[in-house]
Amino acid sequence: MSEVASRSSIASTRAGGGLGAIGETALQWFVKLLPGLALLVFWQWASGRLIKEIYVSKPTAVVARLYELFSSGEIYPHLWITGQELVLGYVIGVAGGVFAGYSLGRSPRLARIFEPYVMAFYGIPKIALAPLFIIWFGIGIGSKVALASIMVFFLVFYNVFAGVRSVDRELVNLTLIMGANQRQLTYHVFLPAAAPFVMLGMRLAIPYSVIGVIVGEFTSSVQGLGLFIHEASSTYDPAGVFAGIVILLGFVTIANLIAGAIERRLLRWRTLSGSGPIDA
Amino acid sequence: MDDRVLVFDGIGQDFPSPGQRTQIRVLDGISFEAARGKFIAVIGPSGCGKSTLLQMAAGLLLPTRGTVHHHGRKVTSINTEVGFVPQQAQLLPWKTLGENVELPLVLRGVPAQERQKRVDDVLGSVGLTGFEQHFPSQLSGGMQKRGSIARTLVYRPDVILMDEPFGALDAQTRMVMQSDLQTLSMEAGATVIFVTHDITEAVLLADNVVVLSQRPSRLLANIAIDLPRPRNMFEPFKNPGFAAAYDAVWTEFRSQIQAGQIH
Repeated sequence: MSEVASRSSIASTRAGGGLGAIGETALQWFVKLLPGLALLVFWQWASGRLIKEIYVSKPTAVVARLYELFSSGEIYPHLWITGQELVLGYVIGVAGGVFAGYSLGRSPRLARIFEPYVMAFYGIPKIALAPLFIIWFGIGIGSKVALASIMVFFLVFYNVFAGVRSVDRELVNLTLIMGANQRQLTYHVFLPAAAPFVMLGMRLAIPYSVIGVIVGEFTSSVQGLGLFIHEASSTYDPAGVFAGIVILLGFVTIANLIAGAIERRLLRWRTLSGSGPIDA
Repeated sequence: MDDRVLVFDGIGQDFPSPGQRTQIRVLDGISFEAARGKFIAVIGPSGCGKSTLLQMAAGLLLPTRGTVHHHGRKVTSINTEVGFVPQQAQLLPWKTLGENVELPLVLRGVPAQERQKRVDDVLGSVGLTGFEQHFPSQLSGGMQKRGSIARTLVYRPDVILMDEPFGALDAQTRMVMQSDLQTLSMEAGATVIFVTHDITEAVLLADNVVVLSQRPSRLLANIAIDLPRPRNMFEPFKNPGFAAAYDAVWTEFRSQIQAGQIH
């Protein structure tokens, strides 16, 4: 068995990067897709047989519902609002997290003063703030952006803070002796050293921004995917709920792809050394 | 013109001891000097504060007592006129070898055209031509070390501080590196302060060997090594006079090892 496998791999190497390689990647993709396909098939089969369709809907119904939502244009206002909230919440949270994490990481004095406060706020379940934010920022996009960005902020903040603090002191001293001023030190040493941590924080923050936005919309809103899902579930429309979830899945997947591409570009030196970024 | 490039004058250093209110005296009244273009090796038992002396010369640490003068100027802050080669190569992992070696020139505002030429030259002299595009993680330990030395030579400091630079290398690589360092330091004409705990290495490389005692460290001896150059790094005992020179250093050093305490 293993002999066959090794022979076929030799054959494919002989064939050169051409057709053999394409066949191999296609096979890999197929193997990757298999569990997902199996799940979908089982879902389709079980719906109405093992579990009532009113509870779990079925894939074909979800697809039909998605098509209907997009062709009628019903979903676009929701998408537009949620999309804005996600992007704004994420960007504000990341920017704040990088800035605060970097400042506190660079200054032990600031860190000593502010770290206990940040720790205390970190401990608060941010979801509990949703009602408060709605009072403060209204039921429009402001409250959702605030909730998403505060969730993103803490994740990014802690990663960047840890990243900047982990920079080897000797590396810093050497660069100073080589003639670096503070600005050059930041650009040549601290930022690149913190980059893997920043990227990790940014990746982890993607699902959290979605949670923040959706929870905000669940709590109170006039438009958005969260509201759409909420309404679908309270009118016993599981196909609608799943359709909403599929769209969110699309958001997260696209965001992950973008983050992965940025990461591969920024952290090329790590990929080459064999300890490449972990694909989430 | 004063020929004494670097002068350590009555250096004393105390460090707070962990958990206690008392201070540990590490260095006590150490004085020696390095003339232009001389190679000074500093040896002593581990933990005696050899590396601390280098940190003072680089301005990373102010001595508790005494002063370090570099060209007659008291060192009180980061000294950018020296070069520092640490124990580990410490190349920046996110820069290629070429970018790493170029960095000091970038920091010092050298124009791009001249940077390129100087990087090419220095990489050639340490034998790393063709590896500019490699990241440090793609280089062997010895090559990283060469890169680290090139990064220092490239901005032509007149004093190079080396902190057990070959300690982590295997025996063969080490001999080759010692031999190349002899050539490079003779060519560069720089003053070198070389910290090591290896007597053979000290005797082979240095014009003067400074022997320190155990903590609190005092200067036991400052021994001139008058072996002709270039010296043979691969077969130490074939250098005429090596045995006598080694003996002179060992006689001073022996008492410190027989004192028996391992720090």
